[in-house]
Amino acid sequence: MRKIAPWLASLALLIGAGIFSEYSWIKVRPCIPEIGRKELEPTLGQGVLLGIMGGLRTVVADLTWIRSYVLWERKDRPGCEALMRTACALDPHSRYFWENTGYAIGYDLAHWEVRKRGGYAKVPKETQDRLFRTYARRGLDVIDEGLKYSKNKVSLLLCAAQMSDMKLGDKQLASEYYRQAAELPNSPWYAARLHARIEWEAGKKPAAYTWYRQYWIVRMKDVDDGSPDDLMELREMENQLRLPLLSRIPRQSWEK
Amino acid sequence: MKASLQRAYWISRVTFLEAVRQRFFAFLVVLGAAMVLSSLSFRFLDFGHGELKFIADFGFGGMFLFGSVLGVVMTAQLFFSEMDNRTALTLLAKPLSRTEFLLGKFFGAWAVLAVFLGVLSLLLGGVMWWREQTILVQAEQRGLLPGVFSASGMFAYALLQWLRLGVVIAIVLTISSIARTFLFAVIVGALAVVAGQLQWIAQDVLLKPADNLAYKSFLWVSSRLLPNLQQFNIGDALVLEPASVPTDAVQWVVVSGIFYMVAYLVLASAIFRRREI
Amino acid sequence: MTSAISVRNLTKDFRIGIRGLKLRAVDDLTLEIPRGQVYGLLGPNGCGKSTTLKIILGLVPATAGEITILGQPSATASARERTGFLPEAPYFHKFLSGRELVRYCAQLSGVTAERVDQSVEEALALAAMTEAASRPIGTYSKGMLQRIGFAQAIVHDPELVILDEPTAGVDPVGSAAIGRMIHAMRDKGKTVVLCSHLLGQVEQVCDRVAIMDRGKLVLEGKVDDVLARRDRHVMTIEALTPAAQDAAETALAAHGAKVTSVTHPRRSLEDLFRELVTGSRDA
Repeated sequence: MRKIAPWLASLALLIGAGIFSEYSWIKVRPCIPEIGRKELEPTLGQGVLLGIMGGLRTVVADLTWIRSYVLWERKDRPGCEALMRTACALDPHSRYFWENTGYAIGYDLAHWEVRKRGGYAKVPKETQDRLFRTYARRGLDVIDEGLKYSKNKVSLLLCAAQMSDMKLGDKQLASEYYRQAAELPNSPWYAARLHARIEWEAGKKPAAYTWYRQYWIVRMKDVDDGSPDDLMELREMENQLRLPLLSRIPRQSWEK
Repeated sequence: MKASLQRAYWISRVTFLEAVRQRFFAFLVVLGAAMVLSSLSFRFLDFGHGELKFIADFGFGGMFLFGSVLGVVMTAQLFFSEMDNRTALTLLAKPLSRTEFLLGKFFGAWAVLAVFLGVLSLLLGGVMWWREQTILVQAEQRGLLPGVFSASGMFAYALLQWLRLGVVIAIVLTISSIARTFLFAVIVGALAVVAGQLQWIAQDVLLKPADNLAYKSFLWVSSRLLPNLQQFNIGDALVLEPASVPTDAVQWVVVSGIFYMVAYLVLASAIFRRREI
Repeated sequence: MTSAISVRNLTKDFRIGIRGLKLRAVDDLTLEIPRGQVYGLLGPNGCGKSTTLKIILGLVPATAGEITILGQPSATASARERTGFLPEAPYFHKFLSGRELVRYCAQLSGVTAERVDQSVEEALALAAMTEAASRPIGTYSKGMLQRIGFAQAIVHDPELVILDEPTAGVDPVGSAAIGRMIHAMRDKGKTVVLCSHLLGQVEQVCDRVAIMDRGKLVLEGKVDDVLARRDRHVMTIEALTPAAQDAAETALAAHGAKVTSVTHPRRSLEDLFRELVTGSRDA
């Protein structure tokens, strides 16, 4: 028994330490950026391993991003996408990587695909649209993933809204992204206006007006110059909805 | 007990002196310091992370990388220099137990790494403080919210890295106790560090709900024998966003690290006691 | 009074290769080393003498057998506290000075803080290393390394000193110095065990010897007893002429004795060398 006692003690201590470290890992894990393993698998042998191991994640992510530019210039679709996704996975808190990866996939890859198939003159319009929709969907998936990690969500939401509108052709989805962006602090003035406009054009006129009016009162009225352009747009909506005077936004002192 | 600790102290003192006089140590300190300072020149590579984060990442990378190399290579070298030169023969013929000898080696190597991390942390802290002052002025002029760094976070990070390297040293000593050659100890030690750093990913990948009980049990035991070294790498959060780190998280990691160190040292001692010198 | 070292039925097997073939280095060895003597363990290279010493010091575990040092089981810290050891071809940390090394070994051997300085200086003086004690060990010659090794072995005033090949690679002057140190230890009542294959030197310094071959003990006893040939005698005669020799041979023959050889006595080369170069000590 005396002979095996040190071995048993070591094993018990190691397992005890392992169990203890499970709890410490639960506490610490939220502080460590998540790693998207699927994104890393194709590029693991290219110095990325060093980034996952600890320290240097930002640096390796930056270098990976620079290498993705080289492939972008060569119009290497799989290589460029793999490296860009790797950069995102290594440094998921970086808004820049998510946004530009989304743009590259949603816009550039579809464009390269069309050119590869003979160019815009040769490829039928339906095929072009299908390609743009396919890649836009993939680009949006990237941005949706980035929204889980990045702190600067406004920029990503606007990017997603623009892509949904222009490439996917899904106005309702674009409107939803604009609304989400508008409701965040530091959102640009046009996010709310574009959401309201798309909803209005989709026929949801009273709802669009109500939301826009509320937004203007809470977020715009007392800031800077009071957003006169937005008030003008609201007045136009009130006219088209033929709202009675008392139901309209009270006249502002500075209003012409 | 006091005499035993005293003997371990004498061994660690000479081990420390031997290590800090080596060119290898000086070379890695200079390399690490160069890496911290070069972050200022490589700022143009940064893609919108924020300058302080970029500098911190460079410095943390230097501490992690060169600290790990130092922890593995130097520990194995300090151990095998005693074996190969047969100084261990002289020492172990004295009223010195093998556990005391190993503890002396451990604390000597760990003290060297404290110096290494101390120098790099002070340098990185200095560089970050200097850049922070500039950034604060620029941000004020532009009306922006500047990024700031936490000196206490830097201290906590250095402490965690020191603990991580303590676990690494204990693992390398365990391997050295079995190994017959320096090269074997270095290669296996380096693989153990890589495995420890990636253990959390491997666990997620390998363990699936449908796996059978035997496989799950094997994974459960093996993943606990090898420490999850990734839990010590929370430098970004500690230094740049200290509020995001739960107050007791660092304490939990510290206790877990100490547990692993003790466990591996007990194992190393059990193995080394059977070794023929 | 117990023996300095008692070895009973000691056997040591080394396992070689993946298949674990056994190599028997020590084979059922039994030895009693008395206290207060200089004891020589002799044998050719690979006969198991160094392995025996390592087992005695607990550096290598025995396969079978029992060993006690000064009445205590060997391989215990308390037994080693009363033992000093100089390994074969000693190597020490080059960056330490001789004095730092001896002090380090004194501290590890449990010499109290109040006694350390005095013990270190005494050991250095006995090893004739006081003058060179402040120099880094990296600058020492082979003989000086042996002497500083001797100093570290005796710094804690052990009752038993074990020396493994103490004069290997050392010139005759250095060997003689080590011989004097060994005698000085014996004069202080210490037991010295030395292991060597330099038979001439062992003959000069040892009181008792044991000879090992292929792991077994083949001879053990007092040096005078094992070397003396009781059936032969040596006379040293001055001014011997042929006539005197003839007369002596006739006289001896009358008593039944026979002169088998007449030669001139020779000095050993070692004695001649020491006589000529006594002034050129290591320093």
